[in-house]
Amino acid sequence: MIAIEVKELVKTYGELKAVDDVSLRIKEGEIFGLLGPNGAGKSTLMECMAGLKKYDKGQILIEGQDVNQLGKKLYNTIGVQLQETAYPEHLKVKELCKWFSDLYEKPADYNELLKKFHLSDKANNYVNTLSGGQRQKIAIILALIGKPHILFLDELTTGLDPNSKKEMWAEIKALKEVGLTIFLTTHNMEEASYLCDQIAVLDEGKLLLVDTLDQVIASTQLNHEVSFKAGIEEMQQLKSVLKIEAEVEFIQETVKVSSSHEDLITHVVLALNHYKIPYEKIQMKSPTLEDAYLKLTGKYWEV
Amino acid sequence: MKKLVSTIKVEWSLNIRNFLNVFFSLVFPVMMLLLFGSIYGNEPSTYYGGYGSVDVLTPGYLGMVIAVAGLMTLPITLSQYRERKILKRFKATPMGPKEILISQFVVNTVVTMISSLILIVVGIIVFHLKFYGNVLLMLLAYLLVVINLFSLGLCIASISKNAKAALAISYVIYFPMLFLSGATLPLEFMPNGIKMISKGLPLTYGVELMKGLWLGKALSDFTMHIGVLLLLSLVLIIISYKTFKYE
Repeated sequence: MIAIEVKELVKTYGELKAVDDVSLRIKEGEIFGLLGPNGAGKSTLMECMAGLKKYDKGQILIEGQDVNQLGKKLYNTIGVQLQETAYPEHLKVKELCKWFSDLYEKPADYNELLKKFHLSDKANNYVNTLSGGQRQKIAIILALIGKPHILFLDELTTGLDPNSKKEMWAEIKALKEVGLTIFLTTHNMEEASYLCDQIAVLDEGKLLLVDTLDQVIASTQLNHEVSFKAGIEEMQQLKSVLKIEAEVEFIQETVKVSSSHEDLITHVVLALNHYKIPYEKIQMKSPTLEDAYLKLTGKYWEV
Repeated sequence: MKKLVSTIKVEWSLNIRNFLNVFFSLVFPVMMLLLFGSIYGNEPSTYYGGYGSVDVLTPGYLGMVIAVAGLMTLPITLSQYRERKILKRFKATPMGPKEILISQFVVNTVVTMISSLILIVVGIIVFHLKFYGNVLLMLLAYLLVVINLFSLGLCIASISKNAKAALAISYVIYFPMLFLSGATLPLEFMPNGIKMISKGLPLTYGVELMKGLWLGKALSDFTMHIGVLLLLSLVLIIISYKTFKYE
């Protein structure tokens, strides 16, 4: 089932094409990551998809229905977390949650949600006294309060400390487990690699590619590297006994074997065992999304 | 309906938790009454056609109370909501701008009425304030002024680019209006030039209407005032609706 479909979307601000002919299909139950540098048009694209911005050309279907025709009904299907939303000062956490839950016909129990996100003890605190991480949790809770099928998250973890970030990632994975479709924007490569089933790279409003993480990396044909320590004499033979194309380098005591084959390490270990070559400290380094981005765009990833 | 009721409740809590709101809408008008009342007293005076000073000043203070809510609280709250992207967040819920605007209207009207009641009660207790008119007509006139000034406030919120601009416009309109409309200082003593300026301020018509009805004058004396207030409200509401932005 397709949860979200974007067809040839164009959004302009005067002369600037913020979203330039973008088409996307997001399957039900997957985490879809929209990756791109600041100013790439990620938020604009997401806000069009979430019915918050008008667009110039194209069509957006949420569960098969046109966003423009759904109107306010859209928000019974989707939940949204926006970048930089503040809340009224002098409002307590539980009051804010109660307020949002009263906006929906059949809301989720916000006390349960507060418990799930470990915020029950903050229910009586004022929202403006919360930490950044706690505030982002509130943002997710408010997005979940209408029991949506689809969640839109705009740079949820930007600005969070590493621990809060990891905690948030675990929460997002858990939401996928219960069947939610999640569309998220990020400029964090690690986050996209860790969370997303599919990754789309957006740059200057244009979509560079859409694929699974493995496919994105595989498509760039970058090399995997296996390195280990072993005596040099024995290693002279390794090259000839490896069953795949690979380059072998010696850097002092360390042997470095590189190849675009994903199962490089298996071949190396099999060969080493077969010829009973002693080795230690073996490790493999695979190309990351960051390497792939550099290869694809010719640009270094800048945050 | 649940949406609206809940939003009104929240806005009510927010309103009474805001110190500046409470001070300017509930405390400040009473202070003004006590100050000027103790200076002039409420003895019948020839300056005021035989009425006491407090009897004449009080309907003007009512205008001031309405102006605080309509021209300060309302536009500043709404433009802050917009600037802090709170309105945009609500756009992504089943709630529309209608509920937000109505709840602001309702809460600020209630605050205004409470504040007016306190003012009147203090006036009666301290200065033996007297009312010469018809309560129902007075209430209708009061609500007309509420609608007029609140729609001016909505219009300020809608047309101003950000919270700072809204604040600036509010101050620029509020303070001259406070002193030049007869709300705080009686226009009777003003030079002609100022009287001319006051003709351009909507609150002048509101204050004259309320003052007249308070002192028991005939409604028919104020058809022009009512016409001006109604027409202006209509125009302002249309402008603010057309220019309303979530962000």
